[in-house]
Formats: sequence, C-alpha cells, structure tokens
Amino acid sequence: MTAQDGASRHNFWQKLQAIDRRWLYLVVWLVVMLPLIFPFRIRPKATPPVERLFQFIDTMPRDKALVLSIDYGPDTQAELQPMLVAFLRHAFAAGHRVGILACELTGLGLGENALRQVTAEFNVHAATRQDSVINGEDYAFWGWTTPYITIMLGMGERISKVFPVDYYGQKTESLPIMAHLKNYDDVGILVSIASSAIPQSWINLAQTQFGVRLGCGITAVSAADYYPYLNSGQFTGMLAGMKGAAEYEDLLLNRLKENGMDWGQRYRGTEAMSSQTAAHLAIMAFIIIGNIAFFASKRRKS
Amino acid sequence: MRRTIPLLLVLLTGLFAALAAFVPHPAVQNVDEVMRNDVIRILAAFGLVLGIGSILQHHFLKIRRHAQYWQYSYITVIMLFVSAIIGVFGGIDPNRPGILPTHIGSFSFHMQTLYTNVMVPLGATMFAMLAFFMASAAYRAFRARTVEATLLLVAAFILMLGSVPLGRMIHPQLPSFAEWILTVPNTAAKRGILFGIQLGIFATSLKIILGIERGWLGGGGGK
Amino acid sequence: MNVANPLTAQGAWVWVAAILTLAIFSFLYRENPLYRIAEHLYVGLANGYFITFYWHRVLMPTLFTPVAHNPSVVTKVWLICIAIIGAFYFTRFIPKISWLVRIPIAIVLGYSCGASIPRAVDAELIQQLRATILTRGHFAHWDTALWAIILLLGVIATISYFFFSAERKGVLKPVSYVGIIFIMVGFGASFGYTVMARISLFIGRLQFLLGDWLGIIK
Repeated sequence: MTAQDGASRHNFWQKLQAIDRRWLYLVVWLVVMLPLIFPFRIRPKATPPVERLFQFIDTMPRDKALVLSIDYGPDTQAELQPMLVAFLRHAFAAGHRVGILACELTGLGLGENALRQVTAEFNVHAATRQDSVINGEDYAFWGWTTPYITIMLGMGERISKVFPVDYYGQKTESLPIMAHLKNYDDVGILVSIASSAIPQSWINLAQTQFGVRLGCGITAVSAADYYPYLNSGQFTGMLAGMKGAAEYEDLLLNRLKENGMDWGQRYRGTEAMSSQTAAHLAIMAFIIIGNIAFFASKRRKS
Repeated sequence: MRRTIPLLLVLLTGLFAALAAFVPHPAVQNVDEVMRNDVIRILAAFGLVLGIGSILQHHFLKIRRHAQYWQYSYITVIMLFVSAIIGVFGGIDPNRPGILPTHIGSFSFHMQTLYTNVMVPLGATMFAMLAFFMASAAYRAFRARTVEATLLLVAAFILMLGSVPLGRMIHPQLPSFAEWILTVPNTAAKRGILFGIQLGIFATSLKIILGIERGWLGGGGGK
Repeated sequence: MNVANPLTAQGAWVWVAAILTLAIFSFLYRENPLYRIAEHLYVGLANGYFITFYWHRVLMPTLFTPVAHNPSVVTKVWLICIAIIGAFYFTRFIPKISWLVRIPIAIVLGYSCGASIPRAVDAELIQQLRATILTRGHFAHWDTALWAIILLLGVIATISYFFFSAERKGVLKPVSYVGIIFIMVGFGASFGYTVMARISLFIGRLQFLLGDWLGIIK
C-alpha cells in the first residue's frame, strides 16, 4: 500500500464524517416514508405497564367513570392522539362513562377532534340507544380552565364547580352524566395523556390528597423518567409513545373483535410500527458508521 | 413598600396554601376554594397580558427599527388580531356561533377550523423536524469515546431494538431485557436524580415563600 | 392515489395544511421566506387561540358574567377587586408604576409554592422512599428480591455521585462510579426512547401528507 492509498483512505473517512447533513435528512425521509407506502405489518406485543392499564380499564366497575386529561398539544399529537382515540374507543365499547378535560389549552381542539371521530364511529354503527354515544349522557367534555392547580384540587370537591360550563357552553351541572360524576369518588381511574410534567402534578395534587387512581400516556421522551412512579405504584399503568399506543391498540383490537365492534377503524399507532422499525435501524446504522469513520480517521491521523 | 408588600403577600398566601393541605375545617377549605376558583383563576387569566404584551412589544419594535426579517412581524401581528377577533366574536363551538359569522357558504374559517388546519400542522411539523436534527446528531456527535459513553450507546441500542417488534424477531427475550433495563437500572438512576431535583424544588419554594429568594421581584421595574 | 379535492371546503383546508407542512419542512433544505411566513403565522395564531379561550372559558364565566348577573353586591365588589389586582399586570409596560406587577405575581407564586410543598413531600419523597426500601414482600421470589436490591443500591450510588461536598476518595469513589454506570444506563434508555419519540412525530406528519392529503396510504 502506498502513501497515496493511505491518504485517500484517510480522506474517505474524513469525507464520510463531513457529509452534507441534507443527505442524511433524505435517507431519514425515505426510510420513514417507504414502509408507510409499502407496509410490512407487525403487531406489537403489549408490555406489562400497558397491559395493566388496559386490564384495569377493561374490568373497571360500571358505576365508576374513566376520566381522560388532555395534557398535550399539537407538537406531540402524533404520539399521543392515537392513545386518546384508543382510550375513547375502549371506554365507549366497554360502556364506561367518560369525562374529558384539558390542562393544556392547545390540546383542547385535539380532544374535540378525537371525540368527533370516535363518537361518529360508534353512532354510525349504533342500532339502538344503548349502542349510541351521546354527549352529556355517556360522556362529558368539560373543556379547559387555568391554572391546573385549580383543576386538580377542585375536582376533588366538585367537578362542576371547576368547570361551570362544558366545552360546548352547556351548564355542566345540567348534564345527566354529572349526577353520577360529582368528584374523584366517582372516578375509577384518571389517565393523563401528557407531553410534559403534568402527570407528576396529578400525583402530587390529586392522588396525594384525594387518593384517585392514576394512569398515564406520555411521550417516549419522558417515558424513562416516569418509571419510578410506575415502580412505586403511583401509576397503575403507562403507555410510552407511539409504541405504547400501538400496544394498547393491539389489545383493544382483540377486545373489539370479541365484541363485534371491529369496523375497520384506523389504528395510527400500529400503522407506524413498520416505519418506526426501519427508522430505528437507520439511526443505529448512522451511529455505527459515524463511530467507525471517527475511529478510522483518528487511527489514520496517528 | 415596593418590595415589602409583594414579599408579605407571597408569605401569607404560601403559608395559607400549605395550611389548607392539612386543615380540613370548612372555614379554611371554603377560603381555599375561593382562592383557587376566583383569585388564582382570574389572576392567571390576566397573566396572559404579559405574554401577549411582550410578543406585541417585540414585534412592534422590530418593525420600527427595521430589524432583520422585520416584514414578517406584520404577519404575526395581523394573524394575532384576526384570529383573536374570529375567536372572541365567532365563538368556540362551530354549532353555537357567536355574533361574527365564521363561514362563507360551506367554507368555514371558524377558530376550530383554523386550529385543525393551520395550528396543528404547523406545531406538529416544527417538532417533526427534530427527527432530522436527531439523526444528524446521531451521525456526527454520538461517539463511544469512553467506557461510560459506550455503555450509554449500548443501552440505547437495546432499547431501540427492544421497543420495535423487530427486537422480538432478533431474540425473543430482547424486549423483556429492554423492559428490565427500564424497570431496574433506569428506575434506580432516575429515582436518585428525582430525589435531588425534588429537594432542590422544596428548598427553592421555601426560600420564595420566606422571602429569601427574591429573583422573581425583578419582573417589575423600580426598587 | 386519491388526492384531497381542493375545490371542496374540507379539501381546500387539507391543501392549506399540506402546504404549511411542506413550508416548514423546506427549512431542512435551507432557510427560505416560505418557512419564515409559516413560522410567523403559527406564532400569531397560537396567541389568538390563547386569547380566545382565556376570554370564553375563564374571564367570561368567572368574572364578567357573575359581575353582570350575580345579585350579590359583595360578590360583585369582590370580583372587581380581583380584576383590579389582575389589571396590575398591565403596569409591566408603564415604567413608573411597573412595581405593581409584583402583586399578582406574588399571590399566584406564593399560593402555588405553598400548595405544592406538603403534597410533593409526600408524593415525591416519602412514596418514592417507600418504594425504594426493601420489604419482606420483595423476598417472596428470588428475582424480585435481586431487582429490589439492585434498585436500592442503584439509588444510593446515584445520589452519592451527585454529592459534591466531599472529596471523591475512600468508599465514595467506587460507589459514585457505580452511580455513573447506573446514570449512563438511565440516559441510554432515555436516548433510545427519544429516538423513538422524534421519529414518531415525523411519522405522524407523513401519515397526514400521504394519507389525508395525497390518499396514497389507506
């Protein structure tokens, strides 16, 4: 091997390290896009935190309500909106009463969109009143108020005092569902779907004072940080990111099939798993290639 | 007086709020409820003034000084006022419109429509770009220079593989191992960090209530 | 391919959303006016959205409607007093009396700190400590016992790493090194999940572009 060969190899590793990042962006775009167009279907297997939450909601007594707190905004809706939709489908399929609120103002519209989507799914296939999902009777969308300390502590006394009017401007106290949903005592579990530290506030304020059972659906970024609360039992269960949503959707799909409610609904979390897999492999390849280039060029230099 | 009154207020409200957590007597709880539902709620709403005022001040200044990209500030200011007018006078629920009509024929420009078709795509896309920046950082910056850094990368690889169904195909126990990493060593580390952070928060909160920490007073001018 | 019809009201908005999405993504190639316009649009609309909901869902039901319709004079006076204190936020922009802004800040800050301290002590310290210590229940199975011991040692080691008041020598040195190991594994777990999170956000946007806009994916 000549000195020229060595120099050109060193240049190769240097060029590899200094590649224009827009080529990397293109690789990421293709790696994520192609599996969406040509999907390879893979069903995720539910992890214990997801299973626990699913089982709890599934077997919750009928006189207890599921409360969903929308604590995220448009920036993380890709990960968290599938969770909200899955929880709503599960609750309506199981015949639970549902209360929905938002601690995060920018998530309010997402809640309205999810409710509109899921209630339309159920009502289009409803044959009787029993199968229908009616606002004010089967669910209440309380909306938002500020600050969240008012919500979390106030709901322990009377929910209708925290939200005197619901999202649609109706007097909350006049809704038929509120006769059975006065405060946390009527709540089986409250699930916070969040992209920030609001689930921690739910634990600190609502659970510590009123003992309400909590679950959470959070972005994958925060998921690792919430395992101490899962370990201590302060969260009954947890969905982590789009993977968590896909796992819950898988459990839900089995349940809906059993109930004859599989109407071909879209499951965005599950759809994303093939792209997720490909992207993870790409990122790992980037790290490996970047390290090889770095160490190879370092060795050439020395 | 300019510092004494606020410091006294923070002490009184802080002590009362802490007391209300321990005293179930209706006298205390009723006052606490009024504090939360009326005082704190209305004051928090007025707090929006600071945010909106700062944004407008910043952009008007940019326009006046012809700073870089000053022309775009017109877009922000106009969009702010237009959307506020549509929202305040057009109502929140499309089925219960306000005094301002928010549709021309079947074409709606209601606040919910603007939210779903403008705000959500813009907000979501801005954060979606992080995927690319992260990929670029993964290629250029994540180097296994030390044993500890290598350990970090190995743990990350196991998590990345274990969190997709492919991990189960590589080895049936890989997802369980990834879950174990999260449940045991990760929990231990995060819990240790959590203790430190929470003790820091308690100390800072106490210092604020007792008037030792006064950095928040800097928000208003004068002495 | 079933592209959204731009001649219908709904389809037109889908096109608007798609164009704005691509405008933001254009920044990946390079900075350009389209990106700047979209960015400034977002800031303006987000603020307008906030104003809308603060008006309809806080100020109207909590302040203006009760002041207008509540028969009790005491309630009206009380709410007006709170509104006056809230109006002190405006003094932030009047230098001569800008110190008044400290009053509403003091009330909100003091109440939030006071309300959270006792509850957070229980939730974040006592409950977490309770979950860390070894109990008889852990020793029902060999694996739960082992993981509980590792957890306890890991927490102690992590805390010792952040103890900077003493020199790292003697027993503190190896214990804090074990702490670093646990921290690195924890951060590796966070990083692995962060990769998943970021990719998920991009997948969501592509699902919209390829599904709702272009109709390529069903």
